[in-house]
Amino acid sequence: MKSEFTTTCTPSRLADIRRFLYATLSRFKVAEGVKHEIVLAVDEACANAIIHGNNCDISKVLRLEVRKEERQLTVEISDVGVIDNNELDDAMDKSLDELINERKAGGLGLKLIYSLMDEVNYFARDNRNICSLRKKL
Amino acid sequence: MEIISKLSTDALKISLVGELDANGAINLDRIIGKAIADGYYKIAVDCRQLEYISSAGLGVFISYISELKSHNGKFVFYHLRENVESVFNILGLQKVVAITHDFSQAKNQLHEV
Repeated sequence: MKSEFTTTCTPSRLADIRRFLYATLSRFKVAEGVKHEIVLAVDEACANAIIHGNNCDISKVLRLEVRKEERQLTVEISDVGVIDNNELDDAMDKSLDELINERKAGGLGLKLIYSLMDEVNYFARDNRNICSLRKKL
Repeated sequence: MEIISKLSTDALKISLVGELDANGAINLDRIIGKAIADGYYKIAVDCRQLEYISSAGLGVFISYISELKSHNGKFVFYHLRENVESVFNILGLQKVVAITHDFSQAKNQLHEV
């Protein structure tokens, strides 16, 4: 089973992405609790791509592909933005206390993604950045 | 959407309604920043009608915890739905902010500062 969604790189479209995901995961008969975890992780990955990777450039396109195979679900998010892997690593390394003291909150989204999904991969394909999120069902 | 109610000269209640994601976080940041600038350091956050929260929404609160603390203030969250509370727990926020069952308990917690 496969479902696709295309939208523009603006944060106001995040709600549309969540609605697409809830509808797709319901159609794929994914359990309610797992559905929420996947939607939250994908929302975080899309927010990162839109805000940090593409600077909220509405002329750029974000694509989602959701696939259910046997007992696993894969979501691929693709865009043409710029990813700074060092920035991602730095954000992930900060503890909650450090973020509070620095009055910042970067990196929390990545922590959620890695906590909620079983496999997270970033790579390039056909001149697009791919964020691949996998969850066992 | 956020609804603001003043509780006392230095305390107020913010009721969060609907979904709080990276898009809505910008407005929440503006509201909390203004409240603190106006001298409200004890903030009860009513989550009864909050259906969804992402890291960007929680990040707004995290970025102000230190400032509230420096003024002997704090956030107290109450009426969290299960899916919202799970986000707090995954990120470990339950260890650094107060979470109570209802408004009455939240008010008591604010006065304990």
